[in-house]
Amino acid sequence: MEHSSLAGRIFRGVALTLILIFFMFPIVWIFLMSFQTNEQILRIPPRILFEPTFANYEALISGQLRTAAGNLQISFMRNLFNSVVLSSAAVLLALLLGVPAAYAFARFKFRLGESIAFTLLSFRFAPPLLVLLPLSLYYQELGLNDTYFGIVWVYQLIALPLILWIVRGYFEDISPDIEHAYRLAGHSWREAFTRIAVPLAGPGIAAAGLLSFIFCWNNFVFALILASADKQPVTVGALAFVTASGIQYGQIAAAIVLSVTPTLLLALYAQRYLVEGLSLGAVKG
Amino acid sequence: MDMLELRGIDKVYRSRGKAPVHAVRALDMAVEKGEIVALLGSSGCGKTSTLRMIAGFEDVSAGSIALGGRRIHELPPARRKVAMAFEGYSLYPPLTVRENIAFALKSAQLPRAEVTRRVDEIARLVEIEDILDSYPRAISGGQQQRVSLARALVRDADLYLLDEPMGQLEPQLRAVLRGRIKSLLAERGMTAIFVTHDQTEASALADRIAVMEGGVLQQFASEKELKGRPANLFVASFIGEPPMNLLDAGVTQSDGGFRLSVGTDMAFDINGAGLDSEAAKALAGAPQVRIGIRPQKIVVGTGDVRVKVVSNQWLGDQSHVAGDCGGRMLIAVTSGRVAARPGDIVPFALEPRHLHIFGSDGTCIRHAEVS
Amino acid sequence: MARLEINAVSKAFGAARPADGLSLAVEPGEIVAVFGPSGSGKTVLLRMIAGMFEPDDGDILIGRRSVVGAPPERRGIGMAFQNFALFPHMTARDNIASGLRASGNEVASRVAAISKLLKIEHVLGHAPRELSNGQKQRTALARALIGNPDVLLLDDPLRNVDAKLRYEMRLELPNLLRRGTAAVLYVTQDYREAMAIADRIAVLIDGRLAQVATPADIYAQPASVAIARLFGDPTINLAEVSPVAEHGVLSADVAGARMRLGAADGAAPAGACWLGVRPEDLAVSSASSDGAIAARILAITPMHEKAVLLLRLADGTEWLAALPPDAPQGAADDSVFVRFTPDAAMLFDRATGLRIGASPRLKAA
Repeated sequence: MEHSSLAGRIFRGVALTLILIFFMFPIVWIFLMSFQTNEQILRIPPRILFEPTFANYEALISGQLRTAAGNLQISFMRNLFNSVVLSSAAVLLALLLGVPAAYAFARFKFRLGESIAFTLLSFRFAPPLLVLLPLSLYYQELGLNDTYFGIVWVYQLIALPLILWIVRGYFEDISPDIEHAYRLAGHSWREAFTRIAVPLAGPGIAAAGLLSFIFCWNNFVFALILASADKQPVTVGALAFVTASGIQYGQIAAAIVLSVTPTLLLALYAQRYLVEGLSLGAVKG
Repeated sequence: MDMLELRGIDKVYRSRGKAPVHAVRALDMAVEKGEIVALLGSSGCGKTSTLRMIAGFEDVSAGSIALGGRRIHELPPARRKVAMAFEGYSLYPPLTVRENIAFALKSAQLPRAEVTRRVDEIARLVEIEDILDSYPRAISGGQQQRVSLARALVRDADLYLLDEPMGQLEPQLRAVLRGRIKSLLAERGMTAIFVTHDQTEASALADRIAVMEGGVLQQFASEKELKGRPANLFVASFIGEPPMNLLDAGVTQSDGGFRLSVGTDMAFDINGAGLDSEAAKALAGAPQVRIGIRPQKIVVGTGDVRVKVVSNQWLGDQSHVAGDCGGRMLIAVTSGRVAARPGDIVPFALEPRHLHIFGSDGTCIRHAEVS
Repeated sequence: MARLEINAVSKAFGAARPADGLSLAVEPGEIVAVFGPSGSGKTVLLRMIAGMFEPDDGDILIGRRSVVGAPPERRGIGMAFQNFALFPHMTARDNIASGLRASGNEVASRVAAISKLLKIEHVLGHAPRELSNGQKQRTALARALIGNPDVLLLDDPLRNVDAKLRYEMRLELPNLLRRGTAAVLYVTQDYREAMAIADRIAVLIDGRLAQVATPADIYAQPASVAIARLFGDPTINLAEVSPVAEHGVLSADVAGARMRLGAADGAAPAGACWLGVRPEDLAVSSASSDGAIAARILAITPMHEKAVLLLRLADGTEWLAALPPDAPQGAADDSVFVRFTPDAAMLFDRATGLRIGASPRLKAA
């Protein structure tokens, strides 16, 4: 039963290759585009072989965009910086709030507990625009419009439910007896939380943090409405390349490559860490 | 006539990136019609792989399996005419207990009255008449196991395969069910193989027990034979509860025989006349042997071995006395109550005729004369 | 030195009442086994003492001080769990030392002492996942013992170790547990383990203590038919009888044979009773005589060194007989006759299940 036929193996190989090409091709194409000028990109038919140019990256880093309509100031590096600040701060805040909350949901049965947990998750179901309109109104009242804090706060709608639900599952997988044993060894519940539960849920917390970082990073619509140019992340910043003289495909591609790189590196790094931590063997079996 | 014949069975599990696992090696085994056989061993010994190969859930890597004269090892499971009870029960959740048991009979298109009669009969045997209309999720683990047993035993098959059939049964029912099932199998001449890690279960149910370890069949014999004439040190120490007492002994020749000395505390004279020539030769050539005596063969209260009692436990129908003799632990089991407290010095009698003698390589040199 | 005292403790989870007015005292240095069928409330009792949840009613005292409401870490309790509950990210050494608040030297010497006692010195540097189940359980025991707690709770600690190790630990544990002066509560589902390890056994059935007595007493004089069925393997044989007293002798019809059940002092028990006879108290022979029940052997199932016979009595009742290895056994389908002496008979009230009067067995002893 473990050996499949030759035909089966060939079929599996072909299917996997097709799927891989389907999903990977756009990424490769964007990467190639980022080293081409707009003219090269728009040439029909497109070519795989071309003379690479670093002009797109230069323009992004120097902040000067030369177009047919003249020089244009862009603040891509500023946007990149904003993305890093906003996403990191949002994830940190979400971890600080979400991990203890996840622990509470995992360990304690309290009235309305399940309903609260589900309500928090349901924020993920609602289209962002639904909350955005009222939100922008009272952000203006509160003076939160166009502040880092305001955006970090609204990002909690993305990060917090994710962290809560993923980390809760990890906490539930830890046998409560392990924490009981630690408490009977003379430690308070805070110590049991910080020295036993959190380290054991470490891989889960890392995974949840990483995922919510990526979701925050990729968010577009919250910052579009609630922030002005100097607080906007890369996702919104890329709009600047849709200029009066046309769409600057080369720069957009370079911007995408630059903005994807941090999350990609993070994911690659964390993957190793996640796999390491997943087999624990604390309890029997 | 042999009902089931396993010839040169090998099973090798290969998975990418890992060393291949040789789960069963060169297994030869023949089971007679109407015989009940236990595959006994600890986890990873190859017993479950063997059962699954007979059932057809695993391919054999080498060798052949014949059932009732038909070669079956290349047939799909459904065409082998075997019935199986699974360790995890595998009851069909959307069916009631009655429907679960009747499932195979209905597929075989037996008349409805016949199906009902047979289900009722087997249900009475395993005491599940009152839950026949329940669904599997609503009954306890022990009840599920009984349903699973009933579902296998109700069928008409050439061979019945039972995987850990009684591990989860309620302790109060176990002894009675063992007796009833053994009686049912004998009455109908059913051939059965069951896998277990529990030697109590193996000796209670089986006519013959196949002891497996490391994928190799160590011995295939009746319970009496395994206890009285173990093939090697592994079988000797594995079979028996509590396990056989094993001691290292030095061998010296004495007039007309051998003297086996355990430290300075115990010595046993083995009469040369009672030994066959091979055993005598082996003893003459071995400076050091292992001797074994069953806890039930040690008599407490007489004898010349003085032990310091470590624990004395009365279990209602038997006493287990553990004693220390020069740093060696001896365990004795008697059916009466022993009045001794930890720390007391008590005599133990170990008779030479009850000794099993093993060479340093684990092979058996001499069995006990009286088992 | 502290006594553990449980006073009229109750706990309900919805409709289930795993503790229903439990009272039990354990002296320092004493081992009490809490034994009962699964779901009888053993684990709940242990967890209330450990402070994992609080009783609805009643009090728990350790050394005369009530611990109800106190957090687990302030109760002076050591505990070993069925699933070991080792800290997976710490070595065996750190696991054992986790409860000690002492200088480095002292921690090292105490860990060395306890691990030598439990024979795990060679694995102290290993992580839990590198330990065998037996080593895991020994590490967990070391962790529970090292702080010399006032109260030691063991929640079926040998459940997940193999038979051989379990037997070894059964011999070793009583001495190990009696080293200190802790009051020990030992939960188990195996009556042999309870009898082997405990000074007294508390039989818990449906959240109530059905009997608390020494192992030998419980086996010989079970308070009820339910308890009698829990102790003994094979299980005690039962038959429905209506005893009568004649000429100072109590007797009853059992499957068509008139059997003597002992001396009748005073009135015979009124109405229907359960007669209980342990399988090892039955004698089986091929010769008929007065006071012998006719039976047929259905199957012979060897067990340990004994032969267990499944017998069908003349009236269809199934009984088990456990015979010593040297006794003649006969073969399946043989017709035989079954006897027991009056002092082996136990009588239980049919309605309440309680054992009737002083058992004949008691007087014989």
